[in-house]
Amino acid sequence: MSSGTRQDDPNHVHTIDHEEYDPIGTAILIGIYFVILVLLWLFMYFVEFLGNGPTVIGVVLTVVGLT
Amino acid sequence: MNIHTYEKAWLIASMALIVGFIATVTYGAVGPGIAMIDDDGGSIDPDTINDDERFSDPGVTHVGGNEYEATVVAQAWLYTPSEITVPANSTVTFYVTSRDVTHSFTVAGTNVNTMVVPGEVSQMTVKFDEPGEYGILCNEYCGAQHHTMEGKLNVVPEDEFDLTEVSAEAPNEAQFGNETTITATVSNGMQDEIETTATLEVGDQTREQDVTVPGNGNEDVEFTVDTTELGTGDHDWTVTGDGHEDSGTLSVTDDSEGGDDDA
Repeated sequence: MSSGTRQDDPNHVHTIDHEEYDPIGTAILIGIYFVILVLLWLFMYFVEFLGNGPTVIGVVLTVVGLT
Repeated sequence: MNIHTYEKAWLIASMALIVGFIATVTYGAVGPGIAMIDDDGGSIDPDTINDDERFSDPGVTHVGGNEYEATVVAQAWLYTPSEITVPANSTVTFYVTSRDVTHSFTVAGTNVNTMVVPGEVSQMTVKFDEPGEYGILCNEYCGAQHHTMEGKLNVVPEDEFDLTEVSAEAPNEAQFGNETTITATVSNGMQDEIETTATLEVGDQTREQDVTVPGNGNEDVEFTVDTTELGTGDHDWTVTGDGHEDSGTLSVTDDSEGGDDDA
């Protein structure tokens, strides 16, 4: 029996509820990517950028671009 | 609308990420005070840089406390001064301008980096916490020798930094039997007065004189040299003060001997 036949076979079609769809493996994978992304951001900003003194400092208003 | 639980979680997480990015950048600006360089430095006519009060004699000056100003002129293909020395634990405001084309003033490996545009003064304030040595380079292509355009930035420990200079004036020749005077000038670029000892070494004689130099001023110290003690001939002299020195040679001649010593 080929896969195409299986899909078309009404006896083998199983309809699930919206919330029943549960791709937990994909969710974990994306979760891991997300954690890596957050850690890289923290490393890049707080260690590489802020930790790499000397750095240019100044008035807050000019920093945020309000003036 | 029916949104799947995972989809909701993803939407929330991605929103939190964006808020987090903005929050950290805002923290950097408000907390450590990270700034961007803008047009606060004003403008300048590139043709009259030499007449400008600030840029006619570029270098490091003391503002007061631990605040300093450093003016730098960039041109193809060098920085003036090529070597900048500032103390650690200080706040230095750089004013950089260009004589000719667009350059940059980049302290390699740090966040200190600005374009230097002719006609504009790039102003940036930098806090130096730790001693270190940094290279300064130009990262805007400025001509055939662009790659050789470099400078040096030395951040020295606080107690090793001063803006003292010692120079001395002395006659080249003196008549044997006469007294002559070597005048040492100790100048102090700091705003606070310094106390030091000026020392003259000539021949095998050593003279010392205490000197107090007012803030942002200079003081002359006169040493009287008795040529009779030195004898005829050439005598090297060195004036030192606060670790700086100037030197020269004094020739003592004796005309009464009929010029035997003439070379």
